[in-house]
Amino acid sequence: MVLGTYKEALSARATDSKIQKVAQDGGIASALLIHALEEGIIEGAVVAGDPNDDWAPYPQVATNADEVLQAAGTKYSMSPNVFGIKEAARQFGLEKIGTVVVPCQMQGIRKAQAYPFSIRFIGDKIKLLIGIFCMENFPMASLDTFSEAMMDSSLNDVKKMDIGKGKFRINTTDGTKDIPLKKTHGYEQSGCNICNDYVAEWSDVSTGSVGSPDGWSTVLTRTDNGVDLFTSAVDVGLIETKPIEEVKPGLPLLEKLAKGKKDKSKKEIERRTKMGIPTPVLY
Amino acid sequence: MTNIKSISPTSRQEGHAELLMEVDDEGIVTKGMYFSITPVRGLEKMVLDKSPETIPVLCQRICGVCPIPHTLASAEAVDASLDIEVPKAGKILRELTLLAHNINSAAIHHFLIAPDFVPEDKYATAIQSVSAVRKATQYLVDVVAGEGIHPSDIRIGGMAQNISPLAKEKITERMTDLKGTLENHVKLMKGFIEESDLPKGLGVVDSPLFATTQFYGDVNDFNLDDVTEVLPEAWYGNEEVGKRACTVIPLMNGVNVETGPRARMAKFAGFKDNGVIGFHIARADEMLLNYQRIMELLDELDTSAPARADFDFKGTGKLGIGVIEAPRGTNVHMANIKDGKTQFYSAIVPTTWNIPTMGPATEGYSHELAPHVIRAFDPCLSCATHVMVVDDDDKKVLKNEMLKI
Repeated sequence: MVLGTYKEALSARATDSKIQKVAQDGGIASALLIHALEEGIIEGAVVAGDPNDDWAPYPQVATNADEVLQAAGTKYSMSPNVFGIKEAARQFGLEKIGTVVVPCQMQGIRKAQAYPFSIRFIGDKIKLLIGIFCMENFPMASLDTFSEAMMDSSLNDVKKMDIGKGKFRINTTDGTKDIPLKKTHGYEQSGCNICNDYVAEWSDVSTGSVGSPDGWSTVLTRTDNGVDLFTSAVDVGLIETKPIEEVKPGLPLLEKLAKGKKDKSKKEIERRTKMGIPTPVLY
Repeated sequence: MTNIKSISPTSRQEGHAELLMEVDDEGIVTKGMYFSITPVRGLEKMVLDKSPETIPVLCQRICGVCPIPHTLASAEAVDASLDIEVPKAGKILRELTLLAHNINSAAIHHFLIAPDFVPEDKYATAIQSVSAVRKATQYLVDVVAGEGIHPSDIRIGGMAQNISPLAKEKITERMTDLKGTLENHVKLMKGFIEESDLPKGLGVVDSPLFATTQFYGDVNDFNLDDVTEVLPEAWYGNEEVGKRACTVIPLMNGVNVETGPRARMAKFAGFKDNGVIGFHIARADEMLLNYQRIMELLDELDTSAPARADFDFKGTGKLGIGVIEAPRGTNVHMANIKDGKTQFYSAIVPTTWNIPTMGPATEGYSHELAPHVIRAFDPCLSCATHVMVVDDDDKKVLKNEMLKI
């Protein structure tokens, strides 16, 4: 299955206008975290904050809705949230932790839960793992290049970054600018080229824009915990849903991209193996 | 006629040591010699020419039984050499870590001595009690210092960061819950120990007591000029033993001393008993004192205050001394940082102080009781192994027998 194991696929968005205003797409990650905090399912979440407003994300521990909203929106450079989980469990004293991470981090967290080297008493404290769809991730220097060199804008003036419909877009104080996504190729982290997971297959709930209309997100619920939380958020009216079959472009596009990533990574792994470069074993 | 009895290695302690006893015809020990046979590990040499922040990270690996006192003594020594004043919150967090560790370590020792005192049908009760105490205290170390073993967040200048108000609340809650458990544990273990039929005079020592404070340790009560070190050959008066012993013999004002819980309790808390039973009772009673101190410090801790000082890593070139009151006694680390690198490093650890005192403590009673005396000191040898004699001029290694093991 190119989308991994999942229980249900839906198109959804947060109903709260406060979340919609700051969300990247449907605001599902923010809504689920806030709901989990309010229900006591988690005591806090490790989120990708942007403390210096320069798009360099940094893991921050959010323990209330305001702090979750401050970290809303996608940052296209890596936020080392896995590192933040330990801090959350130690100095923050959290015993029920949630986080939002990209697929490669999700694999790391699941592996750490299975083999808890140097994260003693932490794996069992992770209660909610939200995965976001991810094709690739950029080092800060790449984002700087896109913004400053290719679109003539300082990163500090960028209000929102987005990838969609074949373009890398920024909203700045002077309006929207974009470059074709093709021009970003080669600037991604090199590890992304051998990653075979587009839809965060090991998460409790995966979400991302692809497959759903603007302002909505595609959601894949994967574990019992994920289903319970999502259903409960829908029941209290925090999230509204549409059947995925009724929206365009729907699952076929998601499947196409997920398969594309798997095929591409397989080829790259073979290429690197031929050159004698070590590559991870994929299961 | 003099017979020789040897126990090698001595059991239910950390590391390897040998107890060599001269006994008379009745089997009474007339001369006891206790010495470490754990090979030299050389951490004091490994840290040379390293940057200051690396030193506590390496030095905490001196031992996995008592890594916290080593991290702290090491950090304190480097802090002193760099002329750093640790902020109040950092000091409190460091002391909390140590206090919790000391309770934990005393509980581990109760596990080691259980076969000596606990009746077989009470084993499960005693071990469960040890586990309950350890679980709560290790939780505190985990949260405050980042890791229960080899804490990552005790740093040069203080602590990596302060804890959150929620974490403080949770620790306070766990520690409040621990009160009953700990009081019962101490009562239980003291009961077993007091019921023991070991002779009251067994293990009585009259060496001077060495302890700087009841809690944490204070470099101001430690004068390096009072300390001399003697090579084992000279101390034991036995060439064979001298060659195999892996520690130098530290003396305070020319004589061997006793350090550890009983020394602290006798010096600062009016504790009167001596001997094997006295050692064990002091260790158990000290758990409660440490507990009270934890509650005081938690009350005092301001979670919004900075826990770490800014500092210049280049160093002053002066000798910094870190003195920590560890579970087994006073742990002294010394560091000299200059030009951002370690120029000199040395550690005189708790069991090293006790080694020359432990052998004679076995004298006057049957050699069969001697292991009880050794265990009462709770020796821990992996850190107490430091002999390597070099020529000061050309740094040539003059004695390295143990290095070849």
